[in-house]
Amino acid sequence: MSTDNDIIRRARDSPAVFGELYDRHSSIIYRYAARRAGDFAADDVTSETFLVAWEQLETYDLDREDARPWLFGIATNLLRRHHRAEAKMLKVAAKAASRDSVGDDSDRIAAQVDAAVTTGRIARTLKAMAVIDRETLLLYAWADLTYEGIALAMDVPVGTVRSRLNRARRTLRTQLDLEILDETENDHGRLAAAPRNA
Amino acid sequence: MDDLQLLREMRSDIGSAPPATLARGREKVMAKVALASTTATKTDTHAKGTVSPIRFRRRVLIASAAAALLVGGIVVADVVRPIGPGATAEAAEVLNNAAAATIQTSDLGVKPGQYLKVETKAVYSSSVSRADGTTVSWLDTTGGQVYVPADMSGEWVWNREPRVPTTFFGEEARAEARKQEASMSQKGSAGPQLEGILRGRAGAFYDSPQQIMGTPLLEAIETLPREPRQLLDLIYEKTKGAGPSPESEALSTIASSLRTGVIPADLRAAMYKAAALIPGVVVADKQATLDGRQGVALGVYWGDGKFREDIIVDPVTGLMIGERIMYLVAEGGIPANTASSWTSVKTSVVDAAP
Repeated sequence: MSTDNDIIRRARDSPAVFGELYDRHSSIIYRYAARRAGDFAADDVTSETFLVAWEQLETYDLDREDARPWLFGIATNLLRRHHRAEAKMLKVAAKAASRDSVGDDSDRIAAQVDAAVTTGRIARTLKAMAVIDRETLLLYAWADLTYEGIALAMDVPVGTVRSRLNRARRTLRTQLDLEILDETENDHGRLAAAPRNA
Repeated sequence: MDDLQLLREMRSDIGSAPPATLARGREKVMAKVALASTTATKTDTHAKGTVSPIRFRRRVLIASAAAALLVGGIVVADVVRPIGPGATAEAAEVLNNAAAATIQTSDLGVKPGQYLKVETKAVYSSSVSRADGTTVSWLDTTGGQVYVPADMSGEWVWNREPRVPTTFFGEEARAEARKQEASMSQKGSAGPQLEGILRGRAGAFYDSPQQIMGTPLLEAIETLPREPRQLLDLIYEKTKGAGPSPESEALSTIASSLRTGVIPADLRAAMYKAAALIPGVVVADKQATLDGRQGVALGVYWGDGKFREDIIVDPVTGLMIGERIMYLVAEGGIPANTASSWTSVKTSVVDAAP
């Protein structure tokens, strides 16, 4: 099977080959965009991502086998145009999952209620988070990029990715009432369960 | 349960991409690509690009600059802000005096075999937003002690205390807190271990070293600049884009560093002097009480003057008593003029660790 950089190299001479890159990655880009800003935005972001990728094909570093960080980087920029859709989705998620809307139904088991409450809290926290922190966190948790991948996608040093991720996770953990680490730990430290794929 | 795991579970409600949508997108993309193969030069096509991320980025920048201006305008209208760079003259004086005092107050001598005990008490707010759109809040109290060996590269011990609800803003908040406690205890062992003893070499309780300002703690203690302007510039650089405003984030970063309890006197002094250079820092309360101890609160406003980030300094010893976030208006179920969260820190020398 050819690698992404193979496809890109060939596509520079035979444009039709570019379709292979689309076939390979369009569905993960779509899913990521849909999760963040809804189907309507995902439709737009997915095709625009590949159009931009096509326009910038000459700038792609052919030493990189995996084009996903590059594609997610483009998608991340494009998603900023859909920030209203994203905010709305998070708002709806936060509301739909608020405790009282599910909590008093005696048929529901506690675990379901907790899951819904957790989703609501996550949504609220994501909504309140600084944009770059949210982008970093979601590239990690939803797009499954590594630290290095996110660094490429966002064009920042790996250390910056690490500190943004730490900050975002700390906020999230505080809001979720998970372990609070910052008393004697610190704001910028690495947190528990350091990712293994970093 | 891990925060990332919970976050990852959220994406499972999105199914795979509709094939028809992807097919339509492919047509759109490949039509453009086909155009390239028929036009004379590729550069032409590139120039005709439909979306330029650079153009887009510029638009975002302009938008946020406009927003910043707008916010700035509101802040100036609502809050008395100092003119010129740095903190107000009064705040700068307090901070510079604290810097001088803290140099005089030599660091506690920890002999081999002894530990520096850093005791913290912390209060956080919890809130629940309800279906009717209202939010109720309460405060939880937690705390812990960190025992730092004389040789800081040795094993640190951290005793973590449970987090318990202590202050309720109304009966409804009390009821919500009860409900939540009940559901938490039902989860049993599934949840993360929040209490008890943790051990870690050189303070690395979670397999990797603690950091301040993006630098491993022990390295930071050695290498952070002692020149206040340089230190503040570094803080701005490390916290770019974070927090509600660069100023509040800078002050909060200084507070986070100081509450580790292990910052040596010369660096502590540099941090106070750096805080004196943060625009908007004011003396918020000359007699602020935190966890039963009194000091001077130095703060910076954010959110159109609705909130304030404070550090509370003992003017005599130059030690930081703690930090807090003040709500000056009622918001999210928290009453006006209330600390929505605070942390106090106390250090002493002890002969043994648990």
